[in-house]
Amino acid sequence: APLFAQNRPVLRLSSVVSNNDIRAEAFAAISEAVAAEFDLQVFNGATLVSQGTELIALQRGNLEIGLVAPQTIAEQVPEWSIVTSAYLFNDVDHLQRTFDSEVGEQLLALTEGIGIHVLAPVYFGTRQVNLKPEIEVQTPADLNGLTLRMPGGDAWQFLGSAIGANPTPLAYAEVYTALQTGAIDGQDNPLPNDYNMRFYEVTSQIVMTGHLIGFDVLAIANDTWNGMTPEQQQLLQSAVDTAIAESTERHLAREAELVQFFQDQGLRVYEPDRAAFRDYAQARYLESEFAASWPEGMLEAINALAE
Amino acid sequence: MSWQFDLIVAVIVLTAVLGLPIGHAMLGSSILYLLLMGRDMSIATEQMLNGLYGSYVLLAIPLFIFAADLMNVGSLSDRLLDFCKALVGRFRGGLGHVNVVSSLIFSGMSGSAIADAVGMGRIIINLMTRDGKYPGAYAGAITAASAIIGPIIPPSIPMVLFALVSDTSIGYLFLGGVMPGLILGVLLMMVNAWQARVHNYPVEEPVPLREMPRVTLRALPALLMPVILLVGIYGGITTPTEAAALAALYAFVVSTVFYRSVSLRQAFDTVRQSARSTASVGFLIAGALAFNYVVTVEQVPNVIRDSLGDTQLTWFSFLLMVNVILLLLGCVLEANAILLVIVPIFLPTAISLGVDPVHFGVIVVVNTMIGLATPPYGLLLFVVSSITKAPTGATIRHLLPFLAVMVLGLAIITFVPDLILWLPRLYGYSG
Amino acid sequence: MPPPARSWTRLAATLADTVPGILLAIMFLCFILQVFMRYVMGSPVGWTVEVCVIAWLWVILWGQSVSAREEDEIRFDIVYGAVSPRVRRVFRVIFATALVAIYAIAIPANWDFVTFMKIQDTAYFDIPFSWVFSILMVFLVVSILRYAWIGWSALTGRGVPSGEAGPHEATRKDFTE
Ligand code: NA
Ligand code: NA
Repeated sequence: APLFAQNRPVLRLSSVVSNNDIRAEAFAAISEAVAAEFDLQVFNGATLVSQGTELIALQRGNLEIGLVAPQTIAEQVPEWSIVTSAYLFNDVDHLQRTFDSEVGEQLLALTEGIGIHVLAPVYFGTRQVNLKPEIEVQTPADLNGLTLRMPGGDAWQFLGSAIGANPTPLAYAEVYTALQTGAIDGQDNPLPNDYNMRFYEVTSQIVMTGHLIGFDVLAIANDTWNGMTPEQQQLLQSAVDTAIAESTERHLAREAELVQFFQDQGLRVYEPDRAAFRDYAQARYLESEFAASWPEGMLEAINALAE
Repeated sequence: MSWQFDLIVAVIVLTAVLGLPIGHAMLGSSILYLLLMGRDMSIATEQMLNGLYGSYVLLAIPLFIFAADLMNVGSLSDRLLDFCKALVGRFRGGLGHVNVVSSLIFSGMSGSAIADAVGMGRIIINLMTRDGKYPGAYAGAITAASAIIGPIIPPSIPMVLFALVSDTSIGYLFLGGVMPGLILGVLLMMVNAWQARVHNYPVEEPVPLREMPRVTLRALPALLMPVILLVGIYGGITTPTEAAALAALYAFVVSTVFYRSVSLRQAFDTVRQSARSTASVGFLIAGALAFNYVVTVEQVPNVIRDSLGDTQLTWFSFLLMVNVILLLLGCVLEANAILLVIVPIFLPTAISLGVDPVHFGVIVVVNTMIGLATPPYGLLLFVVSSITKAPTGATIRHLLPFLAVMVLGLAIITFVPDLILWLPRLYGYSG
Repeated sequence: MPPPARSWTRLAATLADTVPGILLAIMFLCFILQVFMRYVMGSPVGWTVEVCVIAWLWVILWGQSVSAREEDEIRFDIVYGAVSPRVRRVFRVIFATALVAIYAIAIPANWDFVTFMKIQDTAYFDIPFSWVFSILMVFLVVSILRYAWIGWSALTGRGVPSGEAGPHEATRKDFTE
């Protein structure tokens, strides 16, 4: 539609990822794929709206598309705290299957209620424990007494205690120095983050706990979505599906190659007794206030999708 | 960029020149921009609130202000002054040298130039301007210039940001900043010596050598402050942000318990005074957060990238151009915004031209830190002016020779990469 | 029995000045507690961060409106400091009018935003953000009143606000060097 190309509707996409992130390339690909219909402008690095405020911006009509953390959604939809709990998903396939299932429909219906339409979950890596002390970690008990930096907020801090550690909040930018000086014993992040922030320079090991499948959701404001023609919706959705699938593949490949890289850097990289971690964590969650808000039967339904 | 943006830039400049406080000028103009664009007029304030709420690292600022105020109200500063006089008072511009050297020492604790200026800077400005020895504007100028060194010598928040966008080693970046930091320190002391001769700044009466042990002992608690902080940070007790609180605690305990020179009543007056200073500086940052939002939506960085086009460049001309662009941007944009938004635009070209990423990173950080002190929009400039109460214009005049050598220093490290890379290579960097 | 009006205003002024001081003292204590709990007790706490960022926000916005004094405001005074008191009064009328106008126009949208934020609570204490951010409304309203007063007194030439007591004090101490 060259006639309309002059006045394409503007869609602003905001994310916290840096411009050289794999996901930034995915957003650029989406923008290109919908260029005939939309002027999709990508703002990475939390430059358009600050981190954690994407959801509010979507709801208040100040943003069209946002990369929103499930933890942020859970602040308004407590049921969503289930997808932020430790050892819920086995891997990214399990995550994708869940979102494609009836459970997914249920979760997405909840977000429709707060004014956003979820386009896709966006995988960015599996969180692993990265430690400075040279100790052997097999079970949650081995993390007992270790100060583990976790992102701020009680949901994140609880995640740290659910794997047996002593969680402490700390600004992301200060983690490297804190590890170097020993103010903290470790931190948890997906491997690509450990690489980007060079944490491997100041730590001795990575325990492949895989305690959380890290993902955000790419969401569009309901008003924007409903204002599109079915053809436009389909164009955007398929552009998102293609770009995010590619991004997920690249993340998985990147994680695999980083294991080798960290070993070459002299770090120990090994898998602990994951069953012990899973049992401990799930027990902690079920007795917590978080589980009280989980929809009846959802945990079992997600577990059943694990295969 | 829209006409609305051009208009509000003009409004900021105009109202600021007329004397509207800078924070109000930036916040008010950002709201005006939203009004002119027909947008929700709460977005700028929303970004401001969330920016402040999420800026945990900035919390070091109020605590360093509090620590410095406590040192001033107690006798710590006086004891430090006696020591400094004894040490370098006999040289012309001695306290100016002390200002630079103390920044070099204190930069090892703070990752932010603003924190350096309001912390140590405040104390030394007081020492310099007491009894009218130095004009407040000169004290402010040398404090702003030397505070720039803070984030160049590790630890450094801007370097962490650069590492994040560039995939570069933070450890090697930190090491890379050491030499440039020292070089800049020496250059500043040279300017100070020269200015002291030109303006005939006072020479103190020489203190006899046998007095030195007594004077040193008297100043010991104040001299121990950096040691306490270094032990706090590098001993793994506190993070760099928390170290600011440790400094305040130390100053508090020494003045109230040890010297008994501060009553609880005075301590509370001090905390009120510190809170007022905190609000002045903090509101400046708040205004910048609101204005940064406008700069981003206007896609100013993209406009710059497009204007670069596909010109053919050598690494030499490329770095020259990047330095000039960043120095110009540093006059109008906030440092973090430059690092997170502008720098990624240049990175791919830098890498393809064979520029070493650590070299590039240190240059960029030095450059953006210089931007903190360049008029018209230099946070450091306003911060020191608010401490000295000297007119900004006078401060800028005194700052010019310092800025000139800073730019010279930037040129030197830009075209002699070994000055930066020597130390990282010593520790195994292969670049 | 209510005390006479004069001591009410003095009480209000003291209170205005004391709130940011108390908040800063709380920040200080929280930081110390945070280090103590992590380093000495080995059981880190997270809620201190939330207290500190809320206090930081309130110190800034309360401090720059309710307890602001002119000498605390950071301005670009190359021109402002050099012109005659008469011209400076004209400047003050212009910028005060501009600021009062833009803040006043922005009040409804910001009220809407602040009240909207009740949708989200803080992480540790579950305080609705509408309360945390309510300081924005205080800031806007008080700034409007303050600058209306600054503009008015410049226009009429009467009652110069505190800290700007005429041309003599406006000349900064080293202005003549
Ligand atoms: Na530093
Ligand atoms: Na200094």
